[in-house]
Amino acid sequence: MKNILVIGFKLTIICAAAALCLGMVNAVTAPRIAELKKIALADALTVINRTGTPGDEVVIKDDSVVKGYYPVKLDTGDMKGYILTLRGDGYAGDLKILANYEKTGKLIACVLMDNQETPGLGKEAEKIEYMEKYRGFGDDSAIPVKKSQLSAEDADAIGGATITFVGIGKALDYGSNYVKKLGE
Amino acid sequence: MLKEFTKGLFKENPIFIIVLGLCPALGVSTKVINALGMGAGVIFVLLCSNILVSLLKDFIPDKVRIPSYIVIIASFVTIVEMVMQAYSPALYKNLGVFVPLIVVNCVILGRAEAFANKNTVLPSIMDGLGMGLGFTIGLVLIAVVREILGAGTITIFPIGSFDGVIPIPGLVNSPVRVIGLAAGALLVMGYLKAFFNWYLDRK
Repeated sequence: MKNILVIGFKLTIICAAAALCLGMVNAVTAPRIAELKKIALADALTVINRTGTPGDEVVIKDDSVVKGYYPVKLDTGDMKGYILTLRGDGYAGDLKILANYEKTGKLIACVLMDNQETPGLGKEAEKIEYMEKYRGFGDDSAIPVKKSQLSAEDADAIGGATITFVGIGKALDYGSNYVKKLGE
Repeated sequence: MLKEFTKGLFKENPIFIIVLGLCPALGVSTKVINALGMGAGVIFVLLCSNILVSLLKDFIPDKVRIPSYIVIIASFVTIVEMVMQAYSPALYKNLGVFVPLIVVNCVILGRAEAFANKNTVLPSIMDGLGMGLGFTIGLVLIAVVREILGAGTITIFPIGSFDGVIPIPGLVNSPVRVIGLAAGALLVMGYLKAFFNWYLDRK
């Protein structure tokens, strides 16, 4: 019994020392990481939205895919559409996607943000040209969620990263339907 | 003491001879810059965990030594992850899931169990440095071959107006794409291992 307590005590000391070190490193790095994330978000909003002005973010807490949205208005004050923050299922965890839709649900542009996909495979989705496969769909025609819905050239470009492609496609499709419900 | 350092470079190279840590070796070796970043991370974790394990070898109870090593290794990996995310976000983005996966890199746990917990601090430092550098050399060798043949470029750190990408004439427009894929990684790894075996046999 005493032996077990000694082992447990020593393991606790090791864990406590590790937690203390990590806490100190986190205190130094966390503000910088938060600042970098803010810059990345601002850059992504600029990349996917060139014609309207996004308003303040509305945070959604009770939806597993849509985590928030920015209403986008034209300079005239007319409603143009919505930029959605979406969560998709990737190969190695969640995918954070920022997608700009017209109010009809048509996808104008999207960008993959935080992800843990495999370098050289799923990580290719971070490139703007990768996301072109989904652009223009969402109103009359459904957003592709299967390789068979793509041209042969686009399907080849996905390579071995089918799970990433499907994860993004399903999240974008869900987002499109969400925007249709939001309407004006 | 020097023997502890040099053995990891060639004679007991973690990738080509001991054949450990192949998952990140094959996964991140698509670009030279990724291999260098991953190599630096592994050297740091290997060195720090070897030092700590050799210092604490009499304190850590034998029954819980593996969980203790994992806590130590995971802590250093998390430090690498946080520092990389804060100060080298592009590299962190490129390496993706392979940074946290350093925790389960068999080279690191293997050296803690096979060497650091049986030796004093100085030999453990030399062993950690040698094995880490050997791992990095292996990773960079695979990455150089894969990036040149598979993408027709060599990507290193950007400096000023230089974006870090060196195009290889003749290959940049018509690369051998399969070498950049997983199958190509295994092919390159196999040929380099054969070369290492041939070289060591000659000696």
